[in-house]
Amino acid sequence: MMSKPWLHGFLDLCLLAMLAERADYGYGLAQRLAAAGVADVPGGTLYPALLRLEEQGLAVPSWAPSESGPRRKYYEITPAGRTVLAEQAAQWSRFRTGVDTLLTAVAPR
Amino acid sequence: MSDWPDRFHAELVRLGVPGPRARRLTEDTAAQAAETTTDPAGLFGPAHLYARHLVTELAAPVGATPPRYASGPVLLTLAGVGKRYRRRTVLSGVDLTVRGGEVAAIVGANGCGKSTLLRICAGLTRPDAGTVHRTRRVGYVPQDGGTAGWLTADEHFALFGAAAGVVPGRARSTGAHLAAKLAWRPEPGQRAQQLSGGTRQKLNLVLGELHSPDLLLLDEPYQGFDQGTYLDFWHQVHAWRDAGRAVVVVTHLLHDLGNVDHVLDLGER
Amino acid sequence: MTALVVAGLSAREVSRRRTAVLLVIALPLWFYLVRRDQTGQSIRMLALGIGWAISTLTLFVVNASRGVDPRLRLSGASVTGLVGGRLLAMSGTGALLALGYALLAGLDQDVPHPVLAGLIMLISALIAAPFGSLVGSLLPRELEGALALLSVCAVQMLADPAGLTAKLMPFWSVREIGTYAVDGGDISMLWHGLAHAALVWLLCAAGTLAVFSHRLRLAHYPEP
Repeated sequence: MMSKPWLHGFLDLCLLAMLAERADYGYGLAQRLAAAGVADVPGGTLYPALLRLEEQGLAVPSWAPSESGPRRKYYEITPAGRTVLAEQAAQWSRFRTGVDTLLTAVAPR
Repeated sequence: MSDWPDRFHAELVRLGVPGPRARRLTEDTAAQAAETTTDPAGLFGPAHLYARHLVTELAAPVGATPPRYASGPVLLTLAGVGKRYRRRTVLSGVDLTVRGGEVAAIVGANGCGKSTLLRICAGLTRPDAGTVHRTRRVGYVPQDGGTAGWLTADEHFALFGAAAGVVPGRARSTGAHLAAKLAWRPEPGQRAQQLSGGTRQKLNLVLGELHSPDLLLLDEPYQGFDQGTYLDFWHQVHAWRDAGRAVVVVTHLLHDLGNVDHVLDLGER
Repeated sequence: MTALVVAGLSAREVSRRRTAVLLVIALPLWFYLVRRDQTGQSIRMLALGIGWAISTLTLFVVNASRGVDPRLRLSGASVTGLVGGRLLAMSGTGALLALGYALLAGLDQDVPHPVLAGLIMLISALIAAPFGSLVGSLLPRELEGALALLSVCAVQMLADPAGLTAKLMPFWSVREIGTYAVDGGDISMLWHGLAHAALVWLLCAAGTLAVFSHRLRLAHYPEP
């Protein structure tokens, strides 16, 4: 599990990536994050991030009924969202390579 | 807790969110809670705190780099500040500027005037020379004292809340929430004088923060903290900074200084 | 709202100081029992004892708040709210104590003017609250304050009520109205007593407010 201070920077990236795969609603995204082993994201962190994506035009919401209980707000990634995702994925990749390089230098043989 | 959305909405409006937007955010938030079939208080915590959190979060740009917080507006400026007690000069020519999103440390030998300077920043002591500009909402955590021995933590929350014009119930829930961030759950009925030194300092910290000030002035606030709590404390300082607040902390621990944006060394006596 | 919350919490604070409260409740009783054989004396002593007890208790409450007051001011509390709230709490505590002893004296003795007897106990308690807070605001340590209160109350008990010294003391009204209530006399004694009580109350309350306004004044800095 990723510690919280790191997650803060990469939550948006994770959300955009998951939305690019398929549209989803908040609780579903939280479960996918947990299943991927990234983090258990509390609602107070996840929902503001989703609203922010929506307000900055990176994802569009639509309401859909659910079989059990109240209707859900599904988010779909926008073209602008895909652009940001591509940029951030590249950044992440550079960052990860850098960290990996540093870690392999000290890794136990 | 059916009035959670109302309180959430009211706090958004109080924070300057325009009416229609505040309504929309309130509806969204209620719908999100319904999705998980949890009540909003359980999912998001106290309504007013979540409102503040949401407003801060929405203002931040989407970005993948771990955030390096852009400094906000200047919240405290000291220019040429001096203080004398009778013949003895305690401070002279002190300059300091702290912006929102910054942490400043005041260091120096014992008796070099660190606490006096912090009291000047608070407005509890007047400087003899120089000028001070400061934001209005300020929280001050003294080195010791600052609590009423016969009152419980809950009663302190109510008392300090009342001073800031907050109704007791809401002040108590805010206090409990802030205490939890320092890994502390006040025991009902336990008076401040019965708390350990470290726990009393946690109470002190929560009281300084209860009215959500823009500028926090902390005078060696971690005395009696164990290692874990000490880390919680710095974690909290960074959370304040990330929320755009300014923090001025008096310290004598040099390894704290890696964590701060400014160091003001008052030097030897 | 600050004043009411401060008042409620101060009252709770007082109730938690069990030993001090028991001693304070008992104090007027000793005064009363010592002079129980003389109705007039015992009632006056009882009233002065209440004054001493409540002023001492107020002193403790005021001193206990020294640490929090500046912080409460920074959070936005007004000096009037803080001082007024404590005054309210201690006046209420005093009124309860006075009521209890008025009932006791009424049951135990054949008091000529039970209403007036109750009145002097109430006056004594109501003056004691601002007087105790004034002494507390001037003398920071509990022991010093308690000794000062002891001196004042002792002088008040011993000085000739007709003399100037007694008139300059805060509880003169208690003795004056007490004499009228027990021994009888001109009705003007009652009015003089009431006027003296009102004046002392005003002076002590204003004095407390002035001292705290000075001590808890905040530097007002311009915004950056």
